[in-house]
Amino acid sequence: MPRLVPTAEITLGPFFPPSYVDAGANDLTTCEGKTARGEVIEIHGTVTQHDGTPLHNVVLEIWQADANGIFCDAHDPRSQEADPGFYGWGRAATDAAGRYWFRTIRPGRYAAANGTLRAPHVNLVVVFSGLMRQLSTVIFFDDGAGNGTDPVLTSVAPALCARMLACGEGGGRYRFDVVLRGARESVFFDD
Amino acid sequence: MTEVQVVRLPHIVEPLDPATQPPRVIPGYVQTGWRTPEKLWRRPLTRSEFTGPSGQGRRLAQLGADIAGRGERQALGQLIHVRLALVDEDGSPVTGAMVEMWQANAAGRYAHPNDTEHAPLDPNFPGAARVVTDESGRIEFRTIKPGGYPVPDSRRWWRPPHLHFSVWGRSFLSRMVTQMFFPGEPLNAQDRILLSVASSDAREALVARALPTTEGPDDALVYEHRIVVRGRRATAELD
Repeated sequence: MPRLVPTAEITLGPFFPPSYVDAGANDLTTCEGKTARGEVIEIHGTVTQHDGTPLHNVVLEIWQADANGIFCDAHDPRSQEADPGFYGWGRAATDAAGRYWFRTIRPGRYAAANGTLRAPHVNLVVVFSGLMRQLSTVIFFDDGAGNGTDPVLTSVAPALCARMLACGEGGGRYRFDVVLRGARESVFFDD
Repeated sequence: MTEVQVVRLPHIVEPLDPATQPPRVIPGYVQTGWRTPEKLWRRPLTRSEFTGPSGQGRRLAQLGADIAGRGERQALGQLIHVRLALVDEDGSPVTGAMVEMWQANAAGRYAHPNDTEHAPLDPNFPGAARVVTDESGRIEFRTIKPGGYPVPDSRRWWRPPHLHFSVWGRSFLSRMVTQMFFPGEPLNAQDRILLSVASSDAREALVARALPTTEGPDDALVYEHRIVVRGRRATAELD
């Protein structure tokens, strides 16, 4: 069968319904009444554009493994052992000061195809008015094990790796700012 | 090979052909230049990207696909049904996938605090539908045809009538936001976004197909539309 061409992606525009950012969608520590296993952490930060202006109503979505490094997806070879209290996906939107906030579980590690252990990480997608396609980055942790050998973190210029590290503030709280464009631009991937 | 093994093979996601996509920065759409990164990086793709959430109904409330209202609460405007099919690059239906749709009302006004145009709101039209695809990867929306509207501070750029869609495919890489246009609209030929797609086939794929009025319900026009999400099945040989 001939391959179909993926549909052209078009910005979500300025009128994405606020009701689509459901209350609690940024809290991944429970799922259908069950509590996730593992260490609760918070990831927060601001989203700014080229001139440093903080942006309101930016939609951020995360996808990550559970505390044991298992994704809640049948494509994960260990999905049968996935934490039933952890769905692994969440959504947040920035407030008027450009701030966002997620409450989640510290992700575990898992073996990549070549046997290397992936460093703990959270996949982040940004969708917003003026972005014709979603922007993808990855949040690593400044105290994460195995950062130095992670295949994704080491695929970017060493000087820019720090822009993919969430900074620990103590108490399981991490700061990760997102700069869409400019001198301190975040690392985004074109997949 | 058992069916279970087939399902668990990862899906292949290849780079998009730029001719089939709008450029990330569009002339005359100033915000694209403020927010698009100057540099994009390539990375090795791993389990983290080839997996993805399914069954978002566990996290997001469903709002249903019928948003036109009925009786005295029916929204103003032309009643339409939109038959959406969500497929992957093999043409296989994507079942159980969350789809979010939102749109302007018949006057071209969104029920959103950002929309400060003078066109009137319709108290019977919130303009938002969120629903999961059925076992054939389809959703039938019952809504009203949106109006076009001028983009503020844009030197008279009018958006043609369109629906917004936010969809999930089978992996985190197949997450997609797009728009659907209506056939025969004069504004289609002037839209800075639609015109920015180089491939005419890709532009036409963004425009729904109107069914003959002899098909569908008595009281509504019917449009068919297909959204193709990224990804195709890996074969056993490739795995």
